[in-house]
Amino acid sequence: MSTLESVLYGFEVALTWQNVMFVFIGVLAGTIIGMLPGLGPISAIAVMIPLSYGMPPSSALILMAGVYYGAIFGGSTSSVLLNAPGVASTVATTFDGYPLAQQGKAGKALAIAALSSFVGGTVATIGLMLIAPQLSKVALTFGPTEYFALMLLGLTAIASLSDGSSVKAFISATVGVMVATIGVDAQTGTQRFTFGSPKLFDGIDFLVIALGLFALAEVTQLIISRKESLFKSGSNIGSLKITKPEVKKMAGPVGRQSVLGFLIGVLPGAGATIASFLAYITEKRISKDPDSFGKGNVVGVAAPESANNAAAGGSFVPLLTLGIPGSGTTAIMLGALLVVGVQPGPMLLTDHPDVFWGVIASMYIGNVMLLILNLPLIPYFARILYIPKGMLISLILIFCLIGVYGVSFSQFDLYLLIIFGVIGYLMRLFSFPPAPFILAFILGGMMEQSFRQALTISNGSLRIFFDRPVSLALLIIAFASLFVPFLIQRITNRGKKAKTS
Amino acid sequence: MNMNKNFLTFVLILALTAILAACGDDNENENENENENSSEANSSVEADAWKPSKPIEFIAPAGAGGGWDTTARTVAKVLEEESIVDQRMAVVNKPGGGGAIGWSYINEKSTDEHLLFPTSPPIMFVPLNDQSDLGHKDFTPLAALTGDYAAFIVSADSPFDTMNDLVDAMKEDPSSVTVVGDSAPGSMDHMQFIKAVHAAGVDAKEVKFVSSQDGAGMTMLLGGQVDVYSTGVGEAVEQYRAGNIKVLGITSEERLTEDVVSEFPTLKEQGIDDVFIVWRGIMGPGDMSEESAAFYENALKEMTETDAWKEELERYGWEPNWMGSEEFSAFLDEQYDTIEELMIEIGLRN
Repeated sequence: MSTLESVLYGFEVALTWQNVMFVFIGVLAGTIIGMLPGLGPISAIAVMIPLSYGMPPSSALILMAGVYYGAIFGGSTSSVLLNAPGVASTVATTFDGYPLAQQGKAGKALAIAALSSFVGGTVATIGLMLIAPQLSKVALTFGPTEYFALMLLGLTAIASLSDGSSVKAFISATVGVMVATIGVDAQTGTQRFTFGSPKLFDGIDFLVIALGLFALAEVTQLIISRKESLFKSGSNIGSLKITKPEVKKMAGPVGRQSVLGFLIGVLPGAGATIASFLAYITEKRISKDPDSFGKGNVVGVAAPESANNAAAGGSFVPLLTLGIPGSGTTAIMLGALLVVGVQPGPMLLTDHPDVFWGVIASMYIGNVMLLILNLPLIPYFARILYIPKGMLISLILIFCLIGVYGVSFSQFDLYLLIIFGVIGYLMRLFSFPPAPFILAFILGGMMEQSFRQALTISNGSLRIFFDRPVSLALLIIAFASLFVPFLIQRITNRGKKAKTS
Repeated sequence: MNMNKNFLTFVLILALTAILAACGDDNENENENENENSSEANSSVEADAWKPSKPIEFIAPAGAGGGWDTTARTVAKVLEEESIVDQRMAVVNKPGGGGAIGWSYINEKSTDEHLLFPTSPPIMFVPLNDQSDLGHKDFTPLAALTGDYAAFIVSADSPFDTMNDLVDAMKEDPSSVTVVGDSAPGSMDHMQFIKAVHAAGVDAKEVKFVSSQDGAGMTMLLGGQVDVYSTGVGEAVEQYRAGNIKVLGITSEERLTEDVVSEFPTLKEQGIDDVFIVWRGIMGPGDMSEESAAFYENALKEMTETDAWKEELERYGWEPNWMGSEEFSAFLDEQYDTIEELMIEIGLRN
C-alpha cells in the first residue's frame, strides 16, 4: 500500500460511526480528566481496560488514545486558571499562563493554549502518517550517551528559568536533583535516602512535587494573603481574541516546537513533560525579549502547549512501530492492546494495519473535535474564576488530594504532597524559583541513570560521550548555550564601554 | 446567568462522581473490617467445610495495568463468573516498594481468611535484596497457576548465534559483553541471566549488567548500545518475528510448543544445565487456617479446568503451570535457597 492509500484506509476505519463516537467519548473524557488537577490519563486509561474487553482492537486504541491526548489538551486549562497543572506535561504552561490569567487575560491564554495544542497535535499526526516507520530508527539511535547529553542540555537552562538571583535558581535545582535520587537506585539496587521505608523505595512521584510546589503553594499564599480574588482585575477573563502581532510572534515558536516536540516524543523515556520544558526553555533562550517570560508572554504558553501535544502524538511511534512503550501512559495502552488480542510491535503494521492507520487517522479527527469542543467552552471554563475564594480553595485542595491518592493509593503520598506544598510556599516567601527545582527533578534523575549506564557500557571511559556523533553534537550545543550568552554579554559590554569612553 | 448556574452544577456533579469513584474501594474495605469478627466466629464453627462468608479482598501489590494487577483481575473474574466462589471479589491496588507495601498490608491482616494476592518471583527477589522484611515464608502459598520463561536475546546482526558463543566470549573477556535488563541488579532480570551463565561456567561476579528504565532494554538492544537483553519469552516474540533479534536461549525444560516460540532453543539442549520458571501464583495471609487454604486451593484447581480460564491463558499468552499448595511451597523454598547462594557468591548478599 502506498502512503496515500494507507491514510485513506485509516480514515475508512476511523470514520465508521462507532469509531467516531469512541473518539468523541475519548477526547471528552480526556479533556475533563486533564482539567482536574492531579487526575491524569494513566488512571483513566487503566480504568478503561476492562471496558475494552470484546471491543475491536482499533476501537479500543482509538478510545484510549483519545483520552491520552485529550487529557494533555485539557490539562492546560487548570494550569492557566489555577496555577495547578492538570497533568504533568502542562507544568510549563503555568509559567506564563497563570500570569496572563492574573492580568485578566485568561480567555486569551486559554485560546492560545487550545490553538497551539491543536497545531501541535496536528503536526504530530501528519508526522505519524508520513514517517512513523522511518522515525523508529531515530528512536533507536538514542542510547544512554545521547539521553545524558539531551538532559544536560535541558539543565543548562536553569539559570534562564530564574527571575532574580541565579544563585537561588541553582540552589533550587540542586535540591531538585537531590530529591530525584530518593529511592532504590536502578544501577546498583542500593537504597538512597529512603530511611529504610518501603514507601520511599520508588522515589517521589512527579505529580506530588508538581502539585505541591505549584497548586498547594498558590493556595497557601491565597489563604495567608487574605486576598479576596485570585486576580487583580477581579472577575474579568478578557477577550478570546488573539491580535495579529501576537499571531506573528507565535507562529514561529509554535511551528518549531511542534516539530521538536514530536521528535522528543518519539524518544522512549523522554515524553511530553520533557518536551514541554525544553520548548519553553529554548523559546525563552532565543527570544529577543527573554525577560518578559514568566510574566505573561504569549509565547510562553504557545511553545509548551504545542510541544506537549506534539510529543503525545510522537510517543505513539515507538509504541506502534517497535512495541516499546516510551511512557507510563503508553505502557498501560500496550497492556490494553494485549487484552484485546493485539501484540504491538514491529509486526503491527503488517498484522493489524487497521489498528495502526485507524488510530493515526482518528487522531486527526480527535484534534479537530478537541478544538471545536474547547474553544466555545473557554468562557465557561473561565467561570471557575467567579467561584468564591473559599470554595475554590477547597476544590483545588480536594482535587489535588484525590489526584495523588488516585495514582498511588497511599496516605503517605498525601503527607508528602502537603510537605511539598509547605516547601513551595517557603520557597516563594524567600523568592526561590520553583521551576528549576521541578526541571532538575525530571531531567536530573534520567541524566544520572543515563550517565552511569553509559559508563558501565564503556567500562568507565568518558570517551563514549564524544565518540558518538549525536551525543557529541548535543554536548557542544549544551556548552555553547552555557557560555555563548556570557561571551555575547562581554562583547556588547565592551562595545558599550568603548562607546562611552 | 441561569445557564451558567446549570453548568456549575454540572461541574460539581462531575466532581462528586469522581470523588465517590475514588473512595468506593475504601468504603468496602472498612465494611469488611467491621464484619471481620463475626465471620471469624462463623469459620471456626464449621471448620471442616469452610466457605467464604463475605466479599474477598484481592490485593494487587502493584499499580493498575501491570502483571500482578492483570493476574488478580483475571483470576477474580473467572472465579466469580464461573460461580466457583459465591462471594464478590474486589481487586484492590496497593502499589509501592516493588510489592513491599502491599505485602506489609497483607501481613497486618495475617489472620484474615478473605484476603488473597497474586505473586511471582519478586516475592523472593525483593526480600533477598533487603527491600522487604517479608518473603514467601510469611504467607500461605495456595497454588501456582502459570509459568513463563526467561529469554536471552541479541540483535540480528550480533556475532553471537548460540548461547555457547556468548558464554565463550564472556569466559574470555567478561567486560566485552554488556547485558541489559529492565530492573536493578539483584532483581529477576539480572539473576536469571547470572544463574544461566553461572551454570555454563562463567565467572558470574564479572558480568557487566546495565539496568534500563521504562522498558527501554529492547531499545538499547536494537540500537546496538548493549549486547544482550535478559527478558521474558513473551517480550521476544514480536521482534523475533520481525527478524530484528536472535534468541540465544530460553530457560524452559523442553522446547515450547506453539509455532513461533517452538523455534527458540533451550539452554538445556545447548548443554547448559539451567531451568528458570517465571511462575505466577496466588497466596494468602500467613496465618490462614488449613481449611480455608484448602478451600482456595480447590477453587483455583477448579478454575484452571474451566474453558473461561483457558481462554484467558490464550488471551495473555500464559503457559499453564499448576502446582498445588504443598508442591508450590517446597518449590519456593528450593528456588529461594538456590538464588540466595548465587547472590552470596557474586557478592550481592552477605
